[in-house]
Amino acid sequence: MAQSGNDRRRINGPEESFPPVFDDEDDDDFKLRSQRKRGPGDIRPIFLQPGLISQANGSAYIETEKTKIACAVYGPRQSKTTTYSEKGRLNVEVKFAPFSCTRRRAPMRDAEDRSIGVSIHQAIVSSIRLELFPKSTIDVFITIIENDGIEGCIASGSLAASTALADAGIEMLGLVASCSAAIVGDGIQLDPTEAEARASSGTVILACMPALDSITSIWQSGQMSADLSLKCMEQCYERCNDIHSVVAQSLLEHRKTD
Amino acid sequence: MSSSSVTNSSAADETLRAQIFQRLHPRVYLERFIAEKIRPDGRTFDEWRNVSVNVGSISTADGSALVRMGDTTIVCGVKAEIAEPELDHPEQGFLVPNIDLPAICSPKFKPGPPTEEAQVLSDRLNEALVASGVLSLSSLCIHPGKAVWTLYVDCTCINYDGNAFDAALLAMLGALRSTTLPKATYNEETGRTTCSRKTRSPVQLTRNFASSSFGVLDTSHVLSDPTAFEEPLMDVTLTVIVDDRGELISTTESGGAISEETLLRCINRAKERALQLKD
Repeated sequence: MAQSGNDRRRINGPEESFPPVFDDEDDDDFKLRSQRKRGPGDIRPIFLQPGLISQANGSAYIETEKTKIACAVYGPRQSKTTTYSEKGRLNVEVKFAPFSCTRRRAPMRDAEDRSIGVSIHQAIVSSIRLELFPKSTIDVFITIIENDGIEGCIASGSLAASTALADAGIEMLGLVASCSAAIVGDGIQLDPTEAEARASSGTVILACMPALDSITSIWQSGQMSADLSLKCMEQCYERCNDIHSVVAQSLLEHRKTD
Repeated sequence: MSSSSVTNSSAADETLRAQIFQRLHPRVYLERFIAEKIRPDGRTFDEWRNVSVNVGSISTADGSALVRMGDTTIVCGVKAEIAEPELDHPEQGFLVPNIDLPAICSPKFKPGPPTEEAQVLSDRLNEALVASGVLSLSSLCIHPGKAVWTLYVDCTCINYDGNAFDAALLAMLGALRSTTLPKATYNEETGRTTCSRKTRSPVQLTRNFASSSFGVLDTSHVLSDPTAFEEPLMDVTLTVIVDDRGELISTTESGGAISEETLLRCINRAKERALQLKD
């Protein structure tokens, strides 16, 4: 991060500071590290823990290798706006911790935070029975503690949000499972890390409700043929069924220990 | 059959009534417990919550720590960047601590710029780190007058159940202790600094210390490590920072007057606590 600015509400460092530049002496080492160790159809193991944040109505913490996300749900609570709305409102806010990315992020929210918030909002909004909460707001706050690729963040964030909503006891039509894929050459690799996504020509993020056999959101970016993108979506959809059982299992176990 | 269901529902009724009472009359609720010499979560006045520290789990940060003090959870990460030093201190690096209390950690924080509480905490943490001289800023120098390390120490609260200051200070120290800096060489001709990915050396800390916070109710009851329920009901809050050799680094007190005897008692308890935390 180049400018720390004169943020009067925080302790400020020097005016300008630059992330360290590494010499390329160990480029081979780096290439080896970015090679994929699992198969193209394998996703990273998911560790999902509901009920981590005692102050919130519902919460979840998800960890997949190098992506760590904490999610809290507050609600339904009173809407700040005075306009009457028959359906409840869903408000998703995403925040990156300053140390979560390779380059330090300013604590201020910028466009990337908001675009991830919009993606997660779209993924989960159709699963919540908002018509049961008129005049109320459900706040979903997501903090990204460690980031290994935006696609992974959006997919894991949607999973954490759905688990937290279930943990809060908010009425839903089904659990949302989400999976991402990247096109590398002619092949499809599921659940790409940051290095893999950067080396790919395009990515697809799919969110669905396996219980209802319906898709809630698809985000596709990059260059790929229509056939290839359809194949991506099918593979993601199949994987989402497995992810759904992982989420359901963790919620059941959490309830049993309560 | 019916009698057992009646007792079950009356037990549930009682818990509900207790919860409603807690919401409507928090101070009386707390005073009832204090009269029995115990606190709502079952601890005695002097008891501290269990602390667990997990270090070095975040790979994108140069150093990190996750501290859980009861339910209060704070994640701290250290990021190192390179900057030009100030003109009047050409051999000193920068240490920039900050704490963020986002909306995720408690229903009383709304999303937006840092609240007063977060700003005050950041400032107090900064003072604590500076006053203790825990990190010699000249050890962060790469090339005098041209390049120095800047350590951004950022804490984020994930769950706020009172006493964020103690937990945050512990997290910052844990993160700093686990921080490693790559070896940096300053090229005089190009004016650029390049770092080696292979060799990393840890940051040198001069001392180890711990902070203990207390809340005083009705000038005579001193509760250590208040929770989020107890904190707003306290008349006076007191924080004592002691290092592992028993030397006093700082004492902060806000809210009202307390007797000297109370202050000394708290300082002694803080010293015991620092020894306890050393293990």
